[in-house]
Amino acid sequence: MGAFLAVVCAPAAAASQEAEALFESRVRPLLVAKCQECHGPKIAEAGLRLDSRRAVLLGSDTGAVVVPGDAANSRLLAAVRHVKNLAMPPDTKLSDHEIAALEEWVNAGVPWTGPGGEDGGPLSREEEMVDRLREARSSHWAFTPPQKQRPPDLSTLDKLDPARLAAWNVSPIDRFVAAGLIAAELAPSPEAAPRDLFRRLHYTLTGLPPSAEEADAFVAGPTDDAYRAVVEKLLASRAHAEHWARHWLDLARYADTMGYAFAGQSPLYPFAWTYRDWVVQSLHDDLHYDRFVTLQLAADRLDPPVPREDLAALGFLTVGRTFLGNTHDIIDDRIDLVTRGLLGLTVACARCHDHKYEPISTADYYALHGVFASSEIPGELPVIGAPPPGPEAESFAAKLAELQADLAAHEEAVHIRALREAVAHAADYFYETARPAPRPDGRPPQLADGYELEQLLIDRLKRLVEKAQADHPVLGPWVAVKGLPDEKVSGTLAAIKPLNSLIETELTSTKPVTVRQVAETYGRLVARVAPEAAGGPAPQSDDPADLEVVRRLLGVEATPLIVPRSEAMRVAKRSEGEAHRKRQQAITKHQAESPGGPPRAMVLVDKKNPVDSHVLVRGNPGQPGPKIDRRLPDLLGGTTLDRASSGRLELAAAIVSPENPLTARVLVNWVWTHHFGRGLVATPGDLGLRGDPPANQQLLDDLACRFMDEGKWSLRWLHREIILSRTWRQSAALRSDLTARDAENLLWGRAERRRLSWEGWRDSLLVAAGTLDPERDGGPGINPLDIAAMNSRTVYARLDRQDVPGLLRTFDIANPDTAVHVRPRTTVPQQGLAVMNAPLVVEAAKRLAVRTATEVGDDTADDPRITALWRDALARNPSDSERTLARSWLIESRSQRPTEGFGPWERLAQAVLGTAEFQWID
Amino acid sequence: MDHARLPFSRRDLLARSGLGIGWLAAGGILDAEARSEASLGRSPVVHSTLASRPPHFAAKARAVIHIFANGGPSHLDTFDPKPKLTEYAGREIPGALKTERRTGAAFPSPFPFRRHGESGLEVSDLFPSVARHVDRMLVVRSMHADVPNHEPSLMLMNCGDARLVRPAAGAWVTYGLGTENQNLPGFVAMCPGGYPIKGTENWRSAFLPGVFQGTYVDTKKKKVEDLVEYVRHPLLAADMQRRQVDLTAALDRQHLASRQHDPALEARLASMELAWRMQFEANEAFDVSREPKHVLDRYGDTPQGRQLLIARRLVERGVRYVQVWHGEGQPWDSHSDIEKNHRRLAGESDQPIGALLDDLVGLGLLDETLVLWGGEFGRTPTVELPNDAGVKSPTGRDHNHHGFTVWLAGGGVKGGTAYGATDEFGFKAVENPVHVHDLQATMLHLLGLDHTRLTFRHSGRDFRLTDVHGKVITDWIA
Repeated sequence: MGAFLAVVCAPAAAASQEAEALFESRVRPLLVAKCQECHGPKIAEAGLRLDSRRAVLLGSDTGAVVVPGDAANSRLLAAVRHVKNLAMPPDTKLSDHEIAALEEWVNAGVPWTGPGGEDGGPLSREEEMVDRLREARSSHWAFTPPQKQRPPDLSTLDKLDPARLAAWNVSPIDRFVAAGLIAAELAPSPEAAPRDLFRRLHYTLTGLPPSAEEADAFVAGPTDDAYRAVVEKLLASRAHAEHWARHWLDLARYADTMGYAFAGQSPLYPFAWTYRDWVVQSLHDDLHYDRFVTLQLAADRLDPPVPREDLAALGFLTVGRTFLGNTHDIIDDRIDLVTRGLLGLTVACARCHDHKYEPISTADYYALHGVFASSEIPGELPVIGAPPPGPEAESFAAKLAELQADLAAHEEAVHIRALREAVAHAADYFYETARPAPRPDGRPPQLADGYELEQLLIDRLKRLVEKAQADHPVLGPWVAVKGLPDEKVSGTLAAIKPLNSLIETELTSTKPVTVRQVAETYGRLVARVAPEAAGGPAPQSDDPADLEVVRRLLGVEATPLIVPRSEAMRVAKRSEGEAHRKRQQAITKHQAESPGGPPRAMVLVDKKNPVDSHVLVRGNPGQPGPKIDRRLPDLLGGTTLDRASSGRLELAAAIVSPENPLTARVLVNWVWTHHFGRGLVATPGDLGLRGDPPANQQLLDDLACRFMDEGKWSLRWLHREIILSRTWRQSAALRSDLTARDAENLLWGRAERRRLSWEGWRDSLLVAAGTLDPERDGGPGINPLDIAAMNSRTVYARLDRQDVPGLLRTFDIANPDTAVHVRPRTTVPQQGLAVMNAPLVVEAAKRLAVRTATEVGDDTADDPRITALWRDALARNPSDSERTLARSWLIESRSQRPTEGFGPWERLAQAVLGTAEFQWID
Repeated sequence: MDHARLPFSRRDLLARSGLGIGWLAAGGILDAEARSEASLGRSPVVHSTLASRPPHFAAKARAVIHIFANGGPSHLDTFDPKPKLTEYAGREIPGALKTERRTGAAFPSPFPFRRHGESGLEVSDLFPSVARHVDRMLVVRSMHADVPNHEPSLMLMNCGDARLVRPAAGAWVTYGLGTENQNLPGFVAMCPGGYPIKGTENWRSAFLPGVFQGTYVDTKKKKVEDLVEYVRHPLLAADMQRRQVDLTAALDRQHLASRQHDPALEARLASMELAWRMQFEANEAFDVSREPKHVLDRYGDTPQGRQLLIARRLVERGVRYVQVWHGEGQPWDSHSDIEKNHRRLAGESDQPIGALLDDLVGLGLLDETLVLWGGEFGRTPTVELPNDAGVKSPTGRDHNHHGFTVWLAGGGVKGGTAYGATDEFGFKAVENPVHVHDLQATMLHLLGLDHTRLTFRHSGRDFRLTDVHGKVITDWIA
């Protein structure tokens, strides 16, 4: 407001020469020397610039800083005087002389002559954002929808020999890649050796190694047809869905706990696994990506309604951290998940201020905030499947009923206690509405008997009394005397004729002379009409109609002092609240952990009354700014979302719309990243202005378009496109020409060796050990470090985001607190410690040794068993030199002292499991 | 069968590993392998290993020992004397602030304060051994935080933000500086008996690479192999494991030779050799039984004594950041019986802290080691009234984030100095108030790091320990 006024009254003030002298000689030098370092064009702390008149008048993030003509009401002056918390400049206070100059200047109407005057200076935030949006839309590659590209015809380039030309001039991917290499005077690498290729194929599609027999069969006839057949077989396997589900769970920042829980609260999400299992099943069904995303954002909103199992999809939004229950942080997490995770757009930066780089305003952020503020997790999660058959289901139900009855009994007891005490202290409540006790520490008063008045009841009674007039049939006398000194009480009462006989009888019989005594009169009145459970009613001889009036005013549920049963916990004591939580947790624990219970979905549903959110200035909930309609970010068109619901369904539709410039690009890049180890865009969570530009935009855009048009958003189609390409099948061998001219492999002239992920490594140990049960699938998670769980794939692990085992972090698992498109990849010695000493590895080595003994049967010679060991662990036969090495090593080992339970074969097995080959993919 | 003793000389090891001197520089190779969403592409160089790196500018300190008196020790009973409380004993304090729970009248400290050292700084009788070092200590009496609750205050003190998932200071420091001993973790968090409140979040690396996460050690345990995970083969003796590791290395070298000596595989081979060596270094560093008896006696055979002695041994060996928690949960949280409880807690930690400071001085390490003592907040000058949360009698103090004390020693800080002050009752920091962000900014400064430049790109922006806050307090620097 100040800024607006200023513009109107400014020109007159700026005119005088005196003002010019003041500004040029005393104010400008001061602003330059003491202020602009932090409040200038380079850095604008708190959004404030002091380098032009317009900027000064625009103020800071928190509003105007000067009121021209009124220094006394200008925050700028308060700041330089150090009168409140905000003291500027922060280090050295300005001299009195300097402060006086600023005061004079502001009182003179903020005159500004010369550079930085009327027309100069920054645009307002809104104007600036419009400019930035226009500029970004027209110039940034990822902000306009991708277009189908014409792949180059390699035959016209005349650089490849006929055989390679025939192979490479088919797939659009290969044509783009080869053309790029040829333009850099490079050539693609040859296809990887069949055994390497076969192993890589298994890992990239399923996360598991092939068996030696399968590998042998492929190596015997590595034709294109054989390759295609393997691809189809693997794509159809459950192992494939499990492996890619784990990639998706990284993006969904999946974990089985809410993070930190207060003492006594269980942090467990008992049904997070139903989301994980839904992802596995959906990928197994090749649920197309547009539908896959829509269900995860709005499965509850679809018409016709989805089968109940699909409600589990909403776990995408709800398996995040709960930040000790802070709503704004929970919403922020969901906004980041949806925007950065699915759109590669860093919207969450606009929580506190307009995005510094991207054309995203705080208004865009709070428009989405409203969507999630209008959604909630229901009190009871919906059952999405039948309980497992058998007697367990019955005992589960019986125990559940028992626990629920216990909870209800506790609530009942709290209710009765709270009612009794409130009624017993009704006089104190009345007295508090007349003469509130001092609150030196800001708390409701505590009485001599230890009872602390409940703020909720004080407020309700106050509202009732405030609404009543002096002629109120029951409350009239109280309204009349409550503001009076005691000496006027009896006189005033004498002049009032209450209309209700109950209060009249009370007043006549007790003749109160102080406000306190009148309050006690009302206290007795409350006791006479209170519910039986609370100590009432006393023997009655009243006029039934009048009694009923008082009862309805002060004695039935939902009158000020009589909390309804449903609100009992709002007036519970701390210890009662804790006991209540314990009972609730017992129910949660039972539902989660006792066998026989039905699975439930971690849904999000719309609130009954959707709301719009206010901009929170600097992200501070204590500083609400303007209210923003729920809508898409302006960058995506700014369309207003459905007013009658949260708008999640429309948001989902906008995300998977073919018009959306980001979604398909992000997804295609994400799949590419996992197949190649590096994305076409190297910052897969950021396709905005600050992200890296794509290494090959034509390729990315073409693939994104074809994914939508030809592939109909089918992930399996996309896998085929990539896996069947010659580009993907290249060898990982280093080439000196590539190293010299494309060291970072930005042209994709070869494959890159990669270490197995934590999951890939553990699963491979289980395969070698022969313990993995291919039939074992979902359900509540396992402990991946537990030897007893060696039958389960790692995707089925239960992850506590609060306590991620060090071993998992060491192997770079995704941080479960944020959407992760690609994990960091480190090689550190702590990984070596695990390879050498982790009980999991030692156990796998033991089992592998036993397995090889079984396989060779009666043959006690070393060579067959060495071969079996190599085949089980590495899916190939040992080379002659390896066999020789192993044989002599075994002989030497036998001469060493024995180690109980870990003989030469076990030690040899661990040595092989510890090799780079076991843990790395070519 | 003494597994813990390295059975080979360093030269043997180098010869046997077949790698020669080259592997000593492997830190550099490994660094090049770092890849993450944050580090790819245009972003600035991102460190992902513990290789030692130069600071932004000349450092005063090279290591940190943070003694965390978790639960909130009372400044009024330890390092911030308030005679005014005696004057007002049993009476209401004028202008008392709102407290988390209900508190009553002024509660004078049951512990006498005495002047110590040449500086004459006052320390209560709870910390006689610490007080011997008062001329080396900078006592900051004007700390303040944001809220009177343990969880957010622990997060603020450790990670610079009360709620959001941010890396711990120790993770930031090892990210910025690496560590000097590649055979030990760079950031160690010790806590006897289990986790403090908020558990591993207190030493998490959050979005920084996992290698910067604090390594947790339960110092209630005594045996080395129980202290550090995966530091010893569960079954094999060292010489037999060496043969096994040699076989793996031999197989790896064949593999490597057929793959053009791919640097990624070279790095993996080198890291296995480093891991082998780490086993012995860790065994040695955490094994306090190797200390002579007179040293052990000075620290005392208690969890506090053991872990402070380990802290010294780790810093001696080049570990960058050591956090020493008093105990599981929140031991210093004396809502009631503060006289008894604080006496016990101080009694457990005073002697070993004194011994630690003695040793650091004696070994010439104090100059380059910053020792920080404190909790997540302080306590109220008013007495906590009985309540249904377990306080039966008015004998303790509630949480107080408005004003509290931490002290620093060594690492280039001005000793014998009291900085800032709380009001006359000790409720609120009034003179030179120091926010936790300022403490963190200054701590980084002493380590040669500019808190505004120690950043990491994540989710589209550059993050730092102090977010957009923090002021380096140059007055602290000697």
